[in-house]
Amino acid sequence: MSHDSNRRSGDQAAAQQRFLSLFLRSEREIFRYVAALIPNVVDAEDIVQQTAIALWEKFDAYDPAQPFTPWACRFALNKTRQWIERRQRWQALLEGGLADELAQRREELLPEIETRLKHLEGCLNKLPTEQRSMVEGYYYQRSSVEKLAEETSRTVAATYKTLQRIRQALQACIENTAKGAAS
Amino acid sequence: MKIPFPSCEFDDAVAAVCHGSASEEQMRALNELLRNDAPARDEYVLRIELHSRLASDRDLFAEIPETIASPERFLRLGPRRKVRIRQTTWVLALAACLALLAAGWWVLRLSQPGERQGATSKAVAMLNRVADAQWSERESPRLGAPLEPGLLRLRSGLAQIVFYDGARVVIEGPAEFQIVSPNEASCRNGRLTADVPPQARGFRIGTPQMNVTDLGTSFGLDVKERRSELHVFKGSVEFEATAGAAKQNLKEGAGAVAEYSNKLKLITADPNAFASLFDFRLKSSAAEVLRHEQWRAAAGRLDDDPSLLMHFDFEQTDPAEWRLRNTSRRKEAASDGTIVGCQWTEGRWPDKKALEFRSVNDRVRIEVPGDHESLTLAAWVRVQGLDRQINSLYMSDGFEAGTVHWSIRHDGVLALTAIGSEPGSFQICTSPPTLTLNQLGLWLHLAVVIDGGAKDVVHFLNGVPVSHRGLNIKPPFRVGVAELGNWNAKGFPKEDPFMIRNFSGAMDEFCLFGRALSAEEIRALYSVGKPQPDPLIQTRN
Repeated sequence: MSHDSNRRSGDQAAAQQRFLSLFLRSEREIFRYVAALIPNVVDAEDIVQQTAIALWEKFDAYDPAQPFTPWACRFALNKTRQWIERRQRWQALLEGGLADELAQRREELLPEIETRLKHLEGCLNKLPTEQRSMVEGYYYQRSSVEKLAEETSRTVAATYKTLQRIRQALQACIENTAKGAAS
Repeated sequence: MKIPFPSCEFDDAVAAVCHGSASEEQMRALNELLRNDAPARDEYVLRIELHSRLASDRDLFAEIPETIASPERFLRLGPRRKVRIRQTTWVLALAACLALLAAGWWVLRLSQPGERQGATSKAVAMLNRVADAQWSERESPRLGAPLEPGLLRLRSGLAQIVFYDGARVVIEGPAEFQIVSPNEASCRNGRLTADVPPQARGFRIGTPQMNVTDLGTSFGLDVKERRSELHVFKGSVEFEATAGAAKQNLKEGAGAVAEYSNKLKLITADPNAFASLFDFRLKSSAAEVLRHEQWRAAAGRLDDDPSLLMHFDFEQTDPAEWRLRNTSRRKEAASDGTIVGCQWTEGRWPDKKALEFRSVNDRVRIEVPGDHESLTLAAWVRVQGLDRQINSLYMSDGFEAGTVHWSIRHDGVLALTAIGSEPGSFQICTSPPTLTLNQLGLWLHLAVVIDGGAKDVVHFLNGVPVSHRGLNIKPPFRVGVAELGNWNAKGFPKEDPFMIRNFSGAMDEFCLFGRALSAEEIRALYSVGKPQPDPLIQTRN
């Protein structure tokens, strides 16, 4: 028994290392795949966590000849569906086959999106100081909107609005830069 | 409601979806638009992608040009750190976990709720992990739920049951498994492995052909209607064939087959026949390590919050150390805590540490300077029992103006006492009875927000607000010298019946913020720290 179980533990540890390196490499892409359906960051991260565990439990069935990310995204889609089933609000957003349509359309648009998002970093750096700090506070530091509001002496509603405007400004900048690069 | 495209309503709805604040009506209207309008759908996909890129591509923020890093920046930025999971630690942790598994470790040491005064729960075990489990009952047992004596019919998949005495049984469907008591079960058919730690010696499993009594071991059973196979992997067991034979001892590596009309046959134990059950256990422990690492990464991020005055992650390695490290990066806010008494024990995950409070002397002393308009307290605790009228989670010494006492009452009510500046003035903000006996022994996230601005006290259990109470005591609030898990009455009348307030249970994380956290933030604290992913998802068929 101990011989066998030792060997199994050894195999298992190697499998864990393989899994981890694959998963960590794909984690961001899995997150974006989920966020295309559930854009709220906290919820999307929750689903990614659940996906990670499901993936590990089914790692035996993974064929290393196949790319990992698409395999993982199938699990992520499943976990997302299960998550939605219990949340009426999100059901309202994604019902009538919209979830599948969004996932599919995103895949089709991805090359084009990538070309545009290449300019995101440059555009971020062009933001005025205050806006750049706000975006960084919200997305990088993961500060709550309430806290950002307090720190910038805005109301919570105004802070949401500011974040929305900053994203619009970033999007306009990206589009313009992409156009400039193309012409 | 209808949303045109392009329009301000569209912009607002997409933004609200990103922030998680969209109403159901907004979402419904957006659904209607996106299903019928292709350009709107493309625009939506692009906007969401921009948002998710900002949230996930941390390299975008890795380099900050000099011009931006000027002193007038109004946000305090933490040091540039990569908060990605550290892979080396990960692998080491996994290895450690596997080693522990091989040595036979026991996470749960629940006391029997039935022994407690006034207890009404009949639960004797808990369903603590499943993989692809399909149950015959219409009502599947919930993961993490207490199990009362009764029959479990597992059609397929695997399930792990932890008995309150400590025995851990993995069953593989199809199986019929009867829970009898905290240390007894029977199996009519199916395959199972049982691991029995020393404190649960004497754990019994009956099958139609034999009764097995464990003597501190690991063994497997393969039960069919007319035939039972017993395999001893570690230690030894005592068993008797129900046909009336005398008791026998079986040692490690041995096994026995009892068949309806045949004579008892001794065999060699074959662990390979139980490979799927062993693999399940290995995977379970790996999943726990994964959760632990995910929490660790989030906890590191939390430490950058400038309003975090005190954060104990209970992760230090030296059990002889009597200082409890405050990991908040705002070092001037508070010093380390001092451990008085207490025992180190396991936390939410097998390799997570926790402090156990048992005796009336056990406590952690802390000191935090400063006045605050609002405070938020949050802790992960495993409540062992509500032995006192008032069981302290956190209490400032004595009864001083502006301080608060956070406790659980014997009836499961969460209570926050705020002490006013007028002599003798105070207010107790309570929740309805929230903690139930079934939650004893489980890891729970408790939080309370004392919002001096909004004049509001909110209690939370597992990320969900359980009560809102108006707050009459005026800020500022302060900590001063305080204790976790106990109370230093400091001159409070000795004859008071509520004088002794020591907590009975374990704590493996404590946060103290000098501001009021939003409900969303509390939910996020719970979400990154919960021991296992959402149970409903795993048991769903």
